[in-house]
Amino acid sequence: MTLNHDDWGKVARMMSKRSLWMVHFCTGCGAMEMPPVMTSRYDMERFGMHAMATPRQADVFLVTGYLAVKTLKRVVQVYEQMRDPKYVIGFGSCTINGGMYWDSYNTIKDLSKYIPVDVYIAGCMPRPEAIIDSFLKLMDMIDKGEAIGWKKYHKYYDQYKKNQRMAYAYRLDEVEDIKEDDAK
Amino acid sequence: MMAKELFPEAQELRKGRIRIETIKDKVTEIIKKLKENGYGHFVMLSCVDWIKEGKFELVYQMWSYEYREHVMISIKIAREGDSMVTLRDLFPQIETYEREIHEMFGVNFVGNPRLGEFILEGWPHMPPMRKDFDTEKFVKELYYKIPEVKEE
Amino acid sequence: MVDFFALGEQILVMAFLVTLGYAIGMFFNGFARKITARIHNRVGPPIYQGYIDVFKLFGKKTNISHGWIFDLAALFSIAGITLVFLFLPVAGFSMLSTDGDLFLILYLLAIPALGFALGAGASGNPNAAVGIMRALMTMLAYELPLVMVIVAMMVHYNTTSLAGIVAAQSNMHWAIFLPVFLIGAIVADMALQGMLMEKPFDIPIAPHEIATGPMVEFGGKHLGALMLYKMMGIVVETTLFVDLFLGGGVILSVAQYGWLAYVVNFLVWFGLITFVFFLALLINAVFPRFRIEQALKFYWKYDALVALLILIWIFVEVST
Ligand code: SF4
Repeated sequence: MTLNHDDWGKVARMMSKRSLWMVHFCTGCGAMEMPPVMTSRYDMERFGMHAMATPRQADVFLVTGYLAVKTLKRVVQVYEQMRDPKYVIGFGSCTINGGMYWDSYNTIKDLSKYIPVDVYIAGCMPRPEAIIDSFLKLMDMIDKGEAIGWKKYHKYYDQYKKNQRMAYAYRLDEVEDIKEDDAK
Repeated sequence: MMAKELFPEAQELRKGRIRIETIKDKVTEIIKKLKENGYGHFVMLSCVDWIKEGKFELVYQMWSYEYREHVMISIKIAREGDSMVTLRDLFPQIETYEREIHEMFGVNFVGNPRLGEFILEGWPHMPPMRKDFDTEKFVKELYYKIPEVKEE
Repeated sequence: MVDFFALGEQILVMAFLVTLGYAIGMFFNGFARKITARIHNRVGPPIYQGYIDVFKLFGKKTNISHGWIFDLAALFSIAGITLVFLFLPVAGFSMLSTDGDLFLILYLLAIPALGFALGAGASGNPNAAVGIMRALMTMLAYELPLVMVIVAMMVHYNTTSLAGIVAAQSNMHWAIFLPVFLIGAIVADMALQGMLMEKPFDIPIAPHEIATGPMVEFGGKHLGALMLYKMMGIVVETTLFVDLFLGGGVILSVAQYGWLAYVVNFLVWFGLITFVFFLALLINAVFPRFRIEQALKFYWKYDALVALLILIWIFVEVST
């Protein structure tokens, strides 16, 4: 029996699903639910998950809540700093459709228009059980090879960038010369 | 001396809550006087858009730990073409409030050198907290119109 | 005429031992996380988590690089630490040199840290620079008491060779059973805490202040290599401690029992380094982090003072 490329991929996925290191972007109120998930009450380290200090070391990106446009720039930058394969979890209604900020002039409404999101957690704010559930779902998806957000980002890079640029400029017509390195 | 004694024209809304309505040329003087008389905490500067009158109301709020009293100094300036002098020399934190109000309402504070971009980066429209800015329409025309990423 | 057969055999044994060293290091990673979790009243990851983590990190893609120094730095560290491992007597068995010169080992121990520093410097991140500064400062701090204790041991056993010290401690004459070296072991254990970069001396890493310091720009394969280096570092440092104070774990003499002695000694050695590491973990789990000047003060004021007393004691003992 020989191992072909797919089998290696399977092994790699099996490993990476048990060792998801995350960077959590604590902008929204949803971040408040992370401490119980990390500490002894719910203990996500059972699944090998671990909070990392920098995006370079992380696999999972947790966007916890609403994103102002200025924050979106940082989010995109953090996302691009992460190494492939990388996964995004959108956390709370705010990342799905704006939640209670649905008519705010400065928060984006749908995170998946700007970066690919693998799993969404509904709720305002989601309970720790829901968060743990989303982690398990993500692991399941990784195992089956369905969590391919990062591949999408490579493939539809132009569309994502275009959307990001529209948001940065606060207008629909595309503005090419937006200072994207403002965020740096 | 308490605010009531300093400024007889002040209204007392309820205990510990004083409101002084004045004109913009007198504000500097009033705040200086209050600062010298125990009102050492500048709480905040806020702005209200009275669109029907065509005016912006600027409210300077101060607090005294000594008398436990809250003083609001309110002035009105015209919505268009008017300006206010900066008070950043009296309390340095006013500068930040002025920057915010400049960004959100478009009020010009003469003498403040940092009235640049603050929270909104690259905002091309009218200041968003003005009442004639239709947030809902803006949101529907921008964020909800940004296309989903299409996958082939 | 070179005896190729013996040479090949030696290389095979060395390769086996190095692999074993890395395997133990990876095991220690999961072990540490599990123990810490249990102390925090959590369930914690499975004990084999270290293997999964390293495998995953090597499976990651590399999106960016910071130049070839950055790419090679982690390898430099790994090579350095492996070399140190080969020079150490492990369970009384020295691989590269039969006398395991202590000065050489102390000198070699700085090399992997240097590689680490090179990589961090090449990444150009300010946090990394701060981390390197802190790492060098802590190194300076803990080496003073450590070296003093080691010099005391050299004087006592009248040899500069680690293998000699281990041999002198055979038949259960462990250094730690002498009252003076019991205190010495405590001093050295404090220094070991700094070497292992466990709390309260994890100042160079400090994830909450400077975002893991030197490792801030490392990710994917680079981080995997760095983790291997750190894991091996744990094995090397605890082995050094065990060699110095606990007789290297040698309880059966090879001459008498043959290969059985090797197996038993290895098991004892493994048990002892696990125990030493476990002690470090216990301290790690309950302490907050020192600031750099507090660490310096701790090492130079208290640790070094006690080490100096030990040194004087030994000199008096020898001269009378
Ligand atoms: S979904 Fe609710 S809890 Fe989460 S960020 Fe939005 S408003 Fe806050």
